[in-house]
Amino acid sequence: MKKKKWVRWAVSAGIVLGSLYLLQRLLLPKYAADVIEGALIAEYYDEEKDHDVVFIGDCEVYENFSPQVLWDEYGINSYIRGSAQQLIWQSYYLLEDTLRYEKPDVVIFNVLSLKYNEPQKEAYNRMTLEGMEWSLSKVNAIRASMTEEENFLDYVFPILRYHSRWSELSGADLDYLFDTPKVSHNGYYMRVDVKPAENVPPGRVLGDYEFGENARSYLDKMAQLCRENDIELVLIKAPSLYPYWYDEWEEQVERFAEENGLRYLNFLELVEETDLDFSTDTYDAGLHLNLSGAEKVTRYLGRFLREQCGLEDRRGEEHLARRWEEKGTAYSRDRDEQYRALELKAGTDQPEKQEDS
Amino acid sequence: MKRLKIAVIMTAAMLLMAGCGDSERVISGDENQSSGGTVTGEGSAASAAAKGYTFVSQGVTVGIDMDAAPIVEGLGEPVSYYEAASCAFEGLDKIFTYNSFVIETYPDNEKDLVSRVILMDDSVSTPEGVTIGDTRARVEEVYGTEGAEESGRVVYSKDGMKLCFIFNAEDDSVISIEYQSTVLD
Repeated sequence: MKKKKWVRWAVSAGIVLGSLYLLQRLLLPKYAADVIEGALIAEYYDEEKDHDVVFIGDCEVYENFSPQVLWDEYGINSYIRGSAQQLIWQSYYLLEDTLRYEKPDVVIFNVLSLKYNEPQKEAYNRMTLEGMEWSLSKVNAIRASMTEEENFLDYVFPILRYHSRWSELSGADLDYLFDTPKVSHNGYYMRVDVKPAENVPPGRVLGDYEFGENARSYLDKMAQLCRENDIELVLIKAPSLYPYWYDEWEEQVERFAEENGLRYLNFLELVEETDLDFSTDTYDAGLHLNLSGAEKVTRYLGRFLREQCGLEDRRGEEHLARRWEEKGTAYSRDRDEQYRALELKAGTDQPEKQEDS
Repeated sequence: MKRLKIAVIMTAAMLLMAGCGDSERVISGDENQSSGGTVTGEGSAASAAAKGYTFVSQGVTVGIDMDAAPIVEGLGEPVSYYEAASCAFEGLDKIFTYNSFVIETYPDNEKDLVSRVILMDDSVSTPEGVTIGDTRARVEEVYGTEGAEESGRVVYSKDGMKLCFIFNAEDDSVISIEYQSTVLD
């Protein structure tokens, strides 16, 4: 009789927990049909983890560098752990998180996020933090990132945050209830369209050009963590024309790199060397590069990693080469599909123009 | 059996709970959230009329969080125009550059609202008569001495907007005048 009672309890608890789990799965944003950038962080965990290079940073890493080119042309196995408006403390904890799985030779950090000294927006926080697997690093990342309106419990039980999404559910929420499609190429978000950079506004006057103490402390911690793990930290500023990168910021990064014996590449100063053309190599008027631009910049970076950081060509490793061949197929397919879609769009736009004229 | 019923009722209650909370806007990709995702709705509420300190050019009043469309139409063709897509979210931040000032906007549902007005030189001034190059004393005479120090700026807050001045460290003259929305803080 007592046993029967326990079975009933277990079944009841199972039904409640199972229903809540399903409900939570249903209500969570899937980042599959739109805002796919929210899926980038989680994709890393499905990878085999023996990367030579790991990128960390904001959109200036995941939209401007192509790991496929690093492999195809230099035999460098790399992954981008980038996310939209990734703040520097998030980059630090993502680096900590990465070191739970692997120890790359080189970590590349994009310095734009140094301009933020405080938590910014919940929506961006969630795109970075929700994708992280649970660990002390994730807990610390959440605590460092939360705005005043956010609660830690909402990250532990996302249903508390997303319960009002009920009215916005779409077919995609059912389609991707348990599994979402891969959205990146080793963390790289591919775009092939073109929108030339014109009329890029100059930077407005700021009251204070010094990076904040909190942001600088995380750069210190990042350098320290890399030193402790015998990893070369390379600082970069991607060649994005907007938001504006101030000379005063540049001086601070250069000084930090020099004081800490780090290499620093500012791609804004390497436009000629990388052969970037902002009339063809960007898809959003200079904020991010398109595929053509990203491949140009990555070629320069590949040469730098090979010659300056001494990374070896691993294309002779059979298992790795096979993996990258598969990735290369998906990369080419995505590229070709995007070009086809552009051609189709151009075709459908044409008659309208003629009608208008 | 009773426990099973309770379990089912609890689950149904959770489902019902999931439908409430209309006052909260959640993160989704199909909203205009260029400047950072979760929209609080403050902007749209404030967009109807000018509030706080305003800037006036050619008889057109430019107020923070106002609908930018009639303002831009009233001011005529800008010298240059730039639009910046956000990372991930839809919608564009727009920057209209005129001869002596810049208007920036942020998307809010179907509208673009004014997020910032930046005065560029001494050919324009605030309606209260302060311009680039004026002294700190002049600013304090016009706006008072209660301005708050924020990241190297002196900020006068009024009705949910900010009027910000930056002074030259050497001669204490005004080098920047900005009207700014608090929605994007």
